[in-house]
Amino acid sequence: MTSFILRRAASGLLLLLVISALSYVLLSIPNADVGRQLLGPHAAQELVDARNSALGLDQPVAVRYLDWLSSALRGDLGTSWFTNADVAQAMGNRLPVTLSLMVGVTVVTAVASFVLGAWAGVRRGAVDRAVQVIGVVGYALPGFLVMLVIVLVFGVQLRWFPAIGYVPLSESFSGWLSTVTLPILSLSVAAIAGVSQQVRSSIIEVMGRDYVRTLRARGLPASRVVFRHVLRNAATPALTVLGMQFVGLLGGAVLVEQIFGLPGIGAMTVQYTTRGDVPVIMGLVMMTVVVVIVINLFVDILVGWLNPKARTS
Amino acid sequence: MQRKSRVNAGVAAAGAVALMLTGCTGSGDTPDSSTLAIATMTLPQSLDPAEAMGSALPHFQAVYDTLVKREPDGAYAPMLATEWSYDDTLTELSLTLRDDVLFDDGNPFDGAAVKANLERFRDAGGGQAQTMADLEEVEVVDATHVVLHLKQPNPAMLYYLSDAAGLMANPASFGDDSLSTDPAGTGPYELDADRTAVGTTWVYTRTDDYWGEDLPYDEVSISVFDNETAIVNGLRTGQVNVSLIQTVDQQKVAESEPDLVTTPQLIDYQGLILFDRDGAMVPALGEPEVRQAINHAIDRETMLEQLRGGQGEITDQIFGTESEAYDPELDTYYEYDPERARELLAEAGYPDGFEMNLPRMQAISSDAMATSIRSDLEDVGIELTWDTLDQANALSSIFTDRAYPGMVMNNAQPAEEWVTIVELVLPGTFNLLGTTDDTVEETVAEIRTSPEGEGVEAAQRLNRHLVEEAWFVPFYRMRYLHASDGTVDIQPQSGMAVPSLYNYTPAE
Repeated sequence: MTSFILRRAASGLLLLLVISALSYVLLSIPNADVGRQLLGPHAAQELVDARNSALGLDQPVAVRYLDWLSSALRGDLGTSWFTNADVAQAMGNRLPVTLSLMVGVTVVTAVASFVLGAWAGVRRGAVDRAVQVIGVVGYALPGFLVMLVIVLVFGVQLRWFPAIGYVPLSESFSGWLSTVTLPILSLSVAAIAGVSQQVRSSIIEVMGRDYVRTLRARGLPASRVVFRHVLRNAATPALTVLGMQFVGLLGGAVLVEQIFGLPGIGAMTVQYTTRGDVPVIMGLVMMTVVVVIVINLFVDILVGWLNPKARTS
Repeated sequence: MQRKSRVNAGVAAAGAVALMLTGCTGSGDTPDSSTLAIATMTLPQSLDPAEAMGSALPHFQAVYDTLVKREPDGAYAPMLATEWSYDDTLTELSLTLRDDVLFDDGNPFDGAAVKANLERFRDAGGGQAQTMADLEEVEVVDATHVVLHLKQPNPAMLYYLSDAAGLMANPASFGDDSLSTDPAGTGPYELDADRTAVGTTWVYTRTDDYWGEDLPYDEVSISVFDNETAIVNGLRTGQVNVSLIQTVDQQKVAESEPDLVTTPQLIDYQGLILFDRDGAMVPALGEPEVRQAINHAIDRETMLEQLRGGQGEITDQIFGTESEAYDPELDTYYEYDPERARELLAEAGYPDGFEMNLPRMQAISSDAMATSIRSDLEDVGIELTWDTLDQANALSSIFTDRAYPGMVMNNAQPAEEWVTIVELVLPGTFNLLGTTDDTVEETVAEIRTSPEGEGVEAAQRLNRHLVEEAWFVPFYRMRYLHASDGTVDIQPQSGMAVPSLYNYTPAE
């Protein structure tokens, strides 16, 4: 297992390097006039040129990239061209917001999906049909509509939860919980709908296998068959989907962050990408790649632990 | 039985969590009366005065003071400078300074600080540096007296000293980039760096020994949002105290909410600026009749109704209602008259119209606006093609490459007409190709050299000339809405969309 993790870590580092170079070159292709954007239409051209030069934008792309890389390797991701904020610090401020959503949605989705999926897959009949209907409806509802309804009902009208904003966990647990509850709920609706169907199908498939019939024929209690054997085998595809959803939320939570006024990574990505703020975008790309690598590794380890056959593959 | 008790326990736990959550909502997140929570969509690039921009001014007003204060009605009042006067040639502006103001590190604010700040602002290359272009040098007479020597008279100098250029920072902080995130001024608040997340929320707390009259709030937070839906929801739940609402949809929501207090202000105008009045890129635009035809072709009433829900005022002039150059007659100088537009095009030698490309930035020209302008122009034979530009490249295409004969944009209408003249009429930023004529030269010279209050006739003559010559195609002044959650009184700032930080007081 240790060599597996080391191998994955090494390939992850290589991936980071390749993606960083590729991203830097791609970001440099539009050749946006950053100085003009920073100084606005009023500034004289000499001032714009001087600003571009001060930012190193008169250097070839390769030189700029190597400068960035050498700083990044020393742990310095630079400062934003547009807000002068330290990139690492700015991401550090926002990452907890998005991570709260990602972890919250994943936990809620995992619990709800396994309960609903297992219930439907084992019981079948009316329960199964009900879960399927819930799944279709949950998946079909447009995400923005769900978010708007939730914020208007629970945030604005009933005032059970704050309609906007974020309270850091370090400041207050209850404040944090109250600010992330509605966004997590909003994002979980579609996620539960999708993953619960996945769990349900896997369970039905596993329930039909010979070894399950054998276990039942030996007189093992149904609950033991389901929890010890069926769920363990049916979990693999659902975990993979959950892992993908988790990573997707890193950039995919833009809408929920906008509607709930959350200062997260998704909103940051949109804000800085449209301006072409290369230091910030590079920081975000690097962070995303790291999260993807870590999550994939985590899912692989979890799947391997649940299903020894997967380890060899 | 056991199963039932588990269910009951679950329900009880869920109820407890709900109670805990709802209980904390009211106390934890609603700012108390000593805190002012401002929501904005403007992201300040830096807190260094040399980089200050008008729309981010409240950030700067928190930590810095200006030499001259601009009252809500646009009048100038003492701040760090207590008195000012011009000489007869209007090229020497003498300022008397306060003698009781210290920077955070104990250094005094004095004449040398004024000289260091103003000359740095002029030379540091910030976005507003050109506002000090007429400043030759600052003469320090003594600690409390300075004389600003100007290259030529500048009727807006006091306006600029009450704006970005007038913000005074501690000269001891010059020389590195620290001011951009660690401001050092004499203002009523100081930045709370621990609670500030640059890019999202800035928190300012009251300084203990402010030299002037304290502002009513112990703490001010300014949070940046990227959409007004979240801002209005925040206002409705009291998480945001005040904000400027610009979109029609959210203005309607805010106005329908009984707890919110809204104050409308007609401020920026939206319109087409024609750069190519000499016909260098599009020869047809060199003919005044063609530019007049464009003005007649635009159906301003319908645009205002369709795009802004009828909220605003149509106008054909670039000067705002508070400016001395303003002439109410000029708001409706060009009637919507496609037939007349076609006649004018024919008179100018373009009976079959002509083609032109204009840049389009999504943030300014919505799909509906782009379609409306194109179809109005098409109706009189002008074939308009929109080139969609992304935010990162738009400014350089338009202002550096000078690739377009005009552009649609939103412009402020400050009470000080010289600011508008510098921006739009004198060769420079929005008069890219330097168009001028005898009347413009003569009236501008007269306004420039007139003592305060005596250039009105020339300003109105210039305004009428610009409208008659159709230098611009203004559409309408937009109605913006200042919204408060009911706990704050907002006094709009003359000529500016964003109120000064001094204009907020607790509601009675």
